[in-house]
Amino acid sequence: MLTPTTAIRIAGLTVRFGEVLAVDDASIDVEPGEFVSIVGPSGCGKTTILNLLTGLVPLESGEISILGKRPVAGNPDIAYMLARDSLLPWRSALGNASYGLEVRGVPREAREAKARQLLARVGLADFEHHWPKQLSHGMRQRAALARTFCLDAPVLLMDEPFGALDAQTKLQLEDLLLELWNAERRTVVFITHDLAEAVALSDRVVVMSARPGRIVEQMPIDLPRPRSVRTLQKSHEFHDIYSDLWEALEAGMKGAPAALQ
Amino acid sequence: MKASWTEIVAHGAFIAVCLALWEWGARTQYLPQTFFGSPIGIAAYLWEGFAVSKKLWHELGYTVAGTLISFLLGSVAAIALGLAFAMFPKLEHAMDPYLAVLNAMPRIALAPLFLLWFGLGIGSKVAVGTSLAFFIVLANTVAGIRGVSQDHIVLSRAMGATRSQIFFKVTLPSAVPVIFSGLRLALIFSMLGVIGAEIIAAEHGLGQVLSYLQSTFNMNGVMGLLLLLACLGMIVTRGMSRLERALLKWQ
Repeated sequence: MLTPTTAIRIAGLTVRFGEVLAVDDASIDVEPGEFVSIVGPSGCGKTTILNLLTGLVPLESGEISILGKRPVAGNPDIAYMLARDSLLPWRSALGNASYGLEVRGVPREAREAKARQLLARVGLADFEHHWPKQLSHGMRQRAALARTFCLDAPVLLMDEPFGALDAQTKLQLEDLLLELWNAERRTVVFITHDLAEAVALSDRVVVMSARPGRIVEQMPIDLPRPRSVRTLQKSHEFHDIYSDLWEALEAGMKGAPAALQ
Repeated sequence: MKASWTEIVAHGAFIAVCLALWEWGARTQYLPQTFFGSPIGIAAYLWEGFAVSKKLWHELGYTVAGTLISFLLGSVAAIALGLAFAMFPKLEHAMDPYLAVLNAMPRIALAPLFLLWFGLGIGSKVAVGTSLAFFIVLANTVAGIRGVSQDHIVLSRAMGATRSQIFFKVTLPSAVPVIFSGLRLALIFSMLGVIGAEIIAAEHGLGQVLSYLQSTFNMNGVMGLLLLLACLGMIVTRGMSRLERALLKWQ
């Protein structure tokens, strides 16, 4: 079942909500250290797949393994990040950044040292004692990034983490994410509806069709690393991939699997 | 929001003019003293009660003690039950209709019953005050716990938090502000319950004094006590707000 080159294996995944077929026979393999984005029209089941990976939603049909193990809630191998920063408002930036480690039983000194280090890396070194309400949206999402990376989890699951940010802040945080990821090359599954974001960040983009969600395309993104999101926007290659991806997505929206392999 | 000196002077002048008009009206009989008293008469009553015979301190003590005991009993019991509801939703489901009936009852109407059960002393006052405070705090505790953000729960579960970790690190702290606004209200209502019960029948307390003064047409005394009760209510609310601000800096 576990091959050494597979970090996450999703095979023959089918999800039904009552009568509605939400995801139809989806298979995705993610290599260790690979950054994979899943894009698709809303309601295509992207978030459902992520929730299955976290183990918060039980798997009914198909096969999922994460580092060779079945998904289970609280899996120490994964860190999870949402669109809303969901910082705990009664904890300081430091308390939030170290929250995951606290839950996992790391002693105070160790977890706070780690959290301080991460806050510094996301540019919040001077804000560790600030409450979330005192931080801007971008800063709050930086703190959430620090909380996510604070966990030593080899797999990161991100559900539209920058979906609620304005365009400039989004670019800054995408670059920050690339910088953090580049240093450690953890395995990332990244859900987004922003194709430019998917192309700029990922090694591979998985395109899903409208409900029932089927995988219509898995497009490798052969742009050199390390990347800078802002520089990429001036590159022709980036725009070519972006328009190919749009075509695949449009084909998927019509419901017919695209013949773009 | 500190009031500026000019504001303080303006308010002082306004109040002084009103009191002077009132005093003038009382002396010229335009404002019958039998119904309205007079500012100097009110001041004299309060001075006598607090500084000379010191009798009002004693009565004030009964009312404040009754209020605080009611508040503590009611709040502690309500928070405990509210937390139990959060941990055992079936308990809440089972008790809900009974609590709804009890809560719908006008509590002050229970005062005569409590007087029979607990006597003329402080016990019956505490019973009325507690019954008011309890339901307010219970409703707010339950609402606070229900209002917990699902994002926080999902995130904590994904990180591997246990049920008790989620309860103590997420559910409880997120409920505290709502519980607190219930506590502030409960303190005022405890006082209301105690004074109401004292007015109905008591041996001591400001409510009992008020009722006596009213029946003997001592309007200076009635007005003086109303002023005193207003001040007491204000001190209580201000104190709770301060405590809330100090404890909930993150809000």
